[in-house]
Amino acid sequence: MAVITLNYEYLERLVGTDKETILERMPLIGSDIERTFDDHVDVEFFPDRVDLYSTEGVARAMRGYLGIEEGLPEYEVTPSGIAFSVDPALASIRPHLGSAVIRNVNLDEAGIESLMALQESLHWALGRGRRKVAIGVHDLDTVTPPFRYLASPRDRKFVPLDFEDELSMEEILAEHPKGRDYARLVEEFERFPLIVDANDQVLSFPPIINGELTRVTTGTRNILLDCTGTDERAVRMAANIICTALAETGATIESVEIDGTPYPDLAPAERVVSVAECARLLGIDLTAEEMAALLRKMRFGAEALPDGKVRVLVPPYRADIMHDWDIFEDVAVAYGFDNFEAALPQTFTTGKEHPVAVLQREIRSVFTGMGYLEVMPFTLTSERVLYEQMRREPSPEVLRVAKPISEEQTVVRTEILPLLMEILEINCHRELPQRVFATGDVIRGTHTTQTVAAVSIHPGADFSEAYAMMETLCRECGVAAEFAESEDPAFIDGRRGDVLVDGKRVGVFGEIYPDVLTAFSLEHPVAALELDLTAVPGYPVRPDTP
Amino acid sequence: MADLTLNEKKFLVALAPLGEAGAGDLAAALGTTEEAAVQYANLCAEHGLAAVERLSTTTYTLTPEGEEYREHGLPERQIYESFADAISMKDLQAHPLSRIGIGWLRKKGWVAITKGVAEKTGEAPAGEDEIALADPKDGMPGIADLLKRNLVEEHEAVSYRVAITPEGRALVEAGLDLVEETGTLSREEIITGSWREAKLRRYSLETPPKRVYPGKVHPYQRIIDEVKRVLLDMGFVEMQGEIVQSAFWDFDALFQPQDHPAREMQDTFYLDRTEPMPEGWERVRDMHLCGGETTSTGWGGVWDEEVAQKCVLRTHTTPLSVQYLISHPNPPVKAFALGRVYRREAIDPTHLPEFEQLEGIVMDEGVSFRHLLGFLKEFYNRMGFDEVRFRPGYFPYTEPSVEPEVWVDGLGWVELGGAGIFRQEVTAPWGIETPVLAWGLGISRIAMLRLGLKDLRQLYRSDIEWLRESPAIRRQE
Repeated sequence: MAVITLNYEYLERLVGTDKETILERMPLIGSDIERTFDDHVDVEFFPDRVDLYSTEGVARAMRGYLGIEEGLPEYEVTPSGIAFSVDPALASIRPHLGSAVIRNVNLDEAGIESLMALQESLHWALGRGRRKVAIGVHDLDTVTPPFRYLASPRDRKFVPLDFEDELSMEEILAEHPKGRDYARLVEEFERFPLIVDANDQVLSFPPIINGELTRVTTGTRNILLDCTGTDERAVRMAANIICTALAETGATIESVEIDGTPYPDLAPAERVVSVAECARLLGIDLTAEEMAALLRKMRFGAEALPDGKVRVLVPPYRADIMHDWDIFEDVAVAYGFDNFEAALPQTFTTGKEHPVAVLQREIRSVFTGMGYLEVMPFTLTSERVLYEQMRREPSPEVLRVAKPISEEQTVVRTEILPLLMEILEINCHRELPQRVFATGDVIRGTHTTQTVAAVSIHPGADFSEAYAMMETLCRECGVAAEFAESEDPAFIDGRRGDVLVDGKRVGVFGEIYPDVLTAFSLEHPVAALELDLTAVPGYPVRPDTP
Repeated sequence: MADLTLNEKKFLVALAPLGEAGAGDLAAALGTTEEAAVQYANLCAEHGLAAVERLSTTTYTLTPEGEEYREHGLPERQIYESFADAISMKDLQAHPLSRIGIGWLRKKGWVAITKGVAEKTGEAPAGEDEIALADPKDGMPGIADLLKRNLVEEHEAVSYRVAITPEGRALVEAGLDLVEETGTLSREEIITGSWREAKLRRYSLETPPKRVYPGKVHPYQRIIDEVKRVLLDMGFVEMQGEIVQSAFWDFDALFQPQDHPAREMQDTFYLDRTEPMPEGWERVRDMHLCGGETTSTGWGGVWDEEVAQKCVLRTHTTPLSVQYLISHPNPPVKAFALGRVYRREAIDPTHLPEFEQLEGIVMDEGVSFRHLLGFLKEFYNRMGFDEVRFRPGYFPYTEPSVEPEVWVDGLGWVELGGAGIFRQEVTAPWGIETPVLAWGLGISRIAMLRLGLKDLRQLYRSDIEWLRESPAIRRQE
């Protein structure tokens, strides 16, 4: 999630009240205060509320929530007369462009930093790492309109930000830190996106880097904004958020003609929502008037209509309003979560445990009755533990994860017994005898089923113990088992058995092969078993939801 | 006077005429082993009836290497005698014992080495080590060096002398009842009633019993069972299902956009498998693209069928909820799932790539956000958290969303889960029109609080000692 740094002095000035009041109420609009400092606070906001990723945006919302200024913030947009054209050749590369001229900005160092931070947060949340949207801000007075957004040959040269010499666009991808970070977004294209002015001077190589030429400084008074990307809606939203944030500081917004269409359009979107539907969702009685008032507190334009509806004007920076219920959530937030009276539904229902869970509970009681301790090993493991150390052939049904984090977690277990051997290894310095069992999920193919496995380690552990254990388990679970000589290489020949039900092998038991013991650093004999729970009568045909 | 066992009494009776004796003699007198005699002596000593003196003697034997040097002299002595007054270092190093000896030669100051020549400094009298080597005995000053050089081995022999105290003698003189004691009652004694005449041995509560460890359910499983019990009591049906899910069910059906960061390879375990689209998938696609037939705008952009077909290890149990609702479309539905979920996180004390998630849904006519809060409050109260508060939250598949927090003494407000009402974008594609309240909770967090664990790994790679010592009944303080 995005963490926004809010400077107290600036925040207090923008909100118009003291920081204690602001900080106390801020969590109520959906934020987590990460850390407080002497002069600023770091706050985390949800990824859907990209409009709160600047001090200006937070102040705008808090003014509403605190009742200092309510209703729709209005932003005037006047034509700048500046034209911007988009090269049709960009259609398959990075086709969408949003732009605006922002005049009368007055940025100090902190202001520039805050703008850059907003830009970065938007790159992350809306832009998905600049792929969907990348934002460039330029000192308008260093270049000459009209501007062109075009598909350029890859060897075009210019001086990128933070460099002194010209580099070709290809060199930028290889040598500039930002080039290396974002090269994957463009490198497969034959031509690269480029923004130039009337004199063919380079403003930007989106989504990689701006030109040094248009660097924004504390002396910058007028800004040209460019938002480019692959998703028109996201591009538009990013431009709206930057424009409205800067407008909150007193700047004025002017539109740019992109292929003849003025941009940005900061007019609100309109929705007519039902009071009854809102009341039903939230469980509170509201009149249209009350609902409208709550929405105005959240900075919507809202007006009660006569037929149980409310006309809502959604500010141009609200990226999260996709559905009427998104508006109802804002009603709930404005109403205050604390003010809801919690209620329990009246409908009678009965609880029911899943049959597999019932079975596992019974198995737990059988094993604990025999003196076994339960363990709950991981399901992610390695082929080394699962097969190599057990002297077993890898199962053709083993499921490998595509990008494992470590060599210890490359596959999902197809058996539990090897994981129990590992538990014994962890506990090899603890007093013997040790008897442990586990029941849980195994995955074969893509199918989840359950098994139970148990091990007993002590100087007298042997085949007889394993056989007795398996026979008891089968008897207690009603498994009509036949026992036959096994060929499982994890066990000693002549001291191992398979469990057969209707001729199908559903379990194995016996005395662990000494090489397997030493592979797990064990020095005493181990009697072991594992049984497939699908063999137990009553196991649901598919273990899905009942 | 403390109760004496028959053995202790017999021991005192044997000791009294001797006054003082070695353990061997006492053993012989009692017809038992020396160890047993010492044990009885110590028990009597605890009652102040005897005094036990532990005598230890130390002897030394030469190791084979020591034996060799006793015969031929220590290496430095052999080298010293192998040349006249001076020798070049090169020649000195040619001596077979040079590697051990030269260091000692210098240490003992027998030679001075200048410019590659070793010259004798004068007399080299036999040192304490050499004296000890000839006949090692306890207390010789040279022994320590020989032990260090591994030339002798130390042996300790222990013997005991026991003397009766005046109290012991008085007791014996007063007369001791030497009737045979009964330990375990025999069947014979019980049915004939002869146990009435038998002298039953008394046992001391001061001797701790041997610890017995029962077989036990895992402490974490106990918490899981408790959570499940609460939900069953509240009328919820348990769901179970596949760990392997298609991205369609794990993400798309839950209205997570295809470019959502949580879907990326670095957060989710993808598998080298695909699963065909289920019936009705087109409605989910339309929901993403344009909001289907709801008031939603959808996410717009593109929606790729192939992305949805990829299999993942479920990142939450919520796919089970949607699947359950599809197969149980008529209200009321109250269901929960508690199972493993997977996140691609490196292991550390508070993060694991797999852990348990609890998930609950309530679909019913007329349920609202107020009921969601009611359910959460009731659930947390029953779990032993008396104070619950709610804050706005954000989850891609619920609207409104809420983050419940509970008060934990010493920790303050702790966030234990997320909740909300399923978005219409989630329910509408399947024709579900009744509102669905939903919530998810990480159980391991509760387990850590309850069990006082600092490291989550202990739940899955348990120390047997911890399992043995964890009490079956653990009341919250």
